[in-house]
Amino acid sequence: MPDLDELIHQPVRLRIMSALTSLGAREQVDFSYLKEKLALTDGNLGAHLRALEEAGYIAVEKAFVERRPKTFVSASAAGRKAFAAHVAALQAILKSG
Amino acid sequence: MNIKPEEAAAALAEIERARTTMRQVIRAHRGHYHLWIWGAAWIAMPLSAHLLSDQAVRWFGLICIPFGIASMLVGTTQSRQVRSPINRRFLFALAALVCFAVVFPVVLQARPEPKSIYAYTCLVVMQCYVVAGIWTDTYLLWLGLLISALIIAGLFFLPGVFWLWMAVFGGGSLILSGFYVRHFWR
Repeated sequence: MPDLDELIHQPVRLRIMSALTSLGAREQVDFSYLKEKLALTDGNLGAHLRALEEAGYIAVEKAFVERRPKTFVSASAAGRKAFAAHVAALQAILKSG
Repeated sequence: MNIKPEEAAAALAEIERARTTMRQVIRAHRGHYHLWIWGAAWIAMPLSAHLLSDQAVRWFGLICIPFGIASMLVGTTQSRQVRSPINRRFLFALAALVCFAVVFPVVLQARPEPKSIYAYTCLVVMQCYVVAGIWTDTYLLWLGLLISALIIAGLFFLPGVFWLWMAVFGGGSLILSGFYVRHFWR
């Protein structure tokens, strides 16, 4: 049975990874837009993104759009793989129950 | 880390909720608005030539301006939310395609009819769709091939109703594919 990923399993990070892995491999989402869609605060989203970034599960890119600083976030290949394994582990637990 | 099956079920339900939200976001960021905008342009241009005369081709550039502005505004708004960094090689490939498309008629010293000019221009645009489709979303590839075939069919087999053909099948195909992309793609 695949192991659960403790880092991903935290409820907010689970939602973040679910959202980011739904995007295409080349797509990035704006920090503010993600915050709005997941109904999170700046601080909350920022802290969880940092944890995921440190684990190498997401990539954070800062850019200037129309002279304004913007932060774009995307799931990395390692993050997609870890998330898929986590989902498989959840499904296995559900089936075994 | 051990959890109960009920907790696993709750986590999977949470994942599905977040995915549903993002699917709606993805749908809103597909190219359907551009397909609708340019579909309307592709109806307006040939329809004006059908209703007036072949010489309406002169105004096609002007007709494109409001549609171009609308497309640019949509693109700018969308890229603020979800963006796909553009591959430079892809941009250079498109630029090369357009440059050659401009050079060919000059080299061949062609003096084409308005219908041929329009068909040629539309085929070049569809070639760009095909290249974009190879690089990114495959629906663009199929759309480019389909409309190219319709353009050639209209030009060579139905020259009498070419403008109407292009309005219905050129512009119409773009608009319909916009609905397909909006509701069924991915």
